[in-house]
Amino acid sequence: MIGNDISYLIGRVSLKDRKAFAALYETSAPKLFGICLRILRDRSEAEEALQEVYVKIWQRADRYVPGNVHPMAWLAAIARNHSIDVIRARRPVATDIDEAYDIADPLMSPEEAVVLRSEGRRIDICMDELEPDRASAVRHAYIEGLSYEELAEIHGVPLNTMRTWLRRSLLKLRECMSR
Amino acid sequence: MTASDKDMRDPRRDEVIAGEYVLGVLSAEDRRKVEARLAQDRQFAAMVNRWEENLSTFNDDYEALQPPPRTYSAIEQRILGTAPPDAAFSGKVSGGFWNSLALWRSLAFASLAVAAGLAFSMSSLLAPRPVSGGRLVADLSGENATINLVARYDEANGALRVTPVAAGKEKEKSLELWLVEDGKAPVSLGVLPQTGEGEVVVPAVMRGRIVQGAVLAVSIEPFGGSPTGSATGPVIASGATRFD
Repeated sequence: MIGNDISYLIGRVSLKDRKAFAALYETSAPKLFGICLRILRDRSEAEEALQEVYVKIWQRADRYVPGNVHPMAWLAAIARNHSIDVIRARRPVATDIDEAYDIADPLMSPEEAVVLRSEGRRIDICMDELEPDRASAVRHAYIEGLSYEELAEIHGVPLNTMRTWLRRSLLKLRECMSR
Repeated sequence: MTASDKDMRDPRRDEVIAGEYVLGVLSAEDRRKVEARLAQDRQFAAMVNRWEENLSTFNDDYEALQPPPRTYSAIEQRILGTAPPDAAFSGKVSGGFWNSLALWRSLAFASLAVAAGLAFSMSSLLAPRPVSGGRLVADLSGENATINLVARYDEANGALRVTPVAAGKEKEKSLELWLVEDGKAPVSLGVLPQTGEGEVVVPAVMRGRIVQGAVLAVSIEPFGGSPTGSATGPVIASGATRFD
């Protein structure tokens, strides 16, 4: 089913149309279930999460703004966010948003980073510009919903190194996408 | 660099935090902080949206997997309490015409269409036509679009008003405004005028129900409004009301 039809169904769901909700579920549930299962790595937890995800979709359909984000990406974000919340509650990690953000990077000026215009490049091209181990960490983080601690362990680098890797990679990606 | 007030407004730091949130590497506590900020900082919310869109390419890595049938039954049971009965809808979900809509594409890029369409219409429609004292009007429509835009130009004050008008290949449609309340079937607030600036006078009995958080939605209906009293067409826009 193409994005336009999913958008249409989400619009109908915002009017509490149960037939549209059933059709939306049929179309999107396998993908969202795949997301929950990949992040939670437990079938019964993934089933439970999928329920929560669709209750949220039912409740929040009116917040979807067509054209802002692809409808499937919007649905996937709800499934990822919920699954990540579940796994963070299960395996708590240190909070560090208030700690130092060492993101100095001589390659880019703040002005370049602020540029807000539509992306001329696809993420794949920009991922190729990152060093392979960092690109792999970025992708790994996203797909598996891993914390910095887990990523550091898997990639065999100190926690702070992993933080620096990902933060600088994010800035490089943003700069590349805005180019 | 530490998290002083100055840093909180550092756009590079914001980009990184937005990206970290979407990647999913933050702690539960940090995720709540980010979400609290998302609710009140539109610029920051736009950064998060952009990362979601950019990184959504990675979603291809997730394998689709059929969930067991019991999951849907459980979901249905959970939303049942908040759902109006099916009978409230004439449910044109699978109607051939609406199913093949290019509506969303046209709306998603409505602003683009307005810009491009206007440039075109202004030269081809407005300019050559002699001004006869009346208002200049242009119909802006795109191929396969189910919504057209009518542009009205008021020479006296230079105002160019663009009003969306639902339109179909078969026959003209109307845009109807709905109030959606939790657990109730949507209630019509009226049909948007085909001319004018989209002002709807809310019936006196309905006024007490338009409160903060009430959801307004616009659907495409047969000309003159829904024949059944319930929304029958696709929803082209919706959103919750809030204080300015």
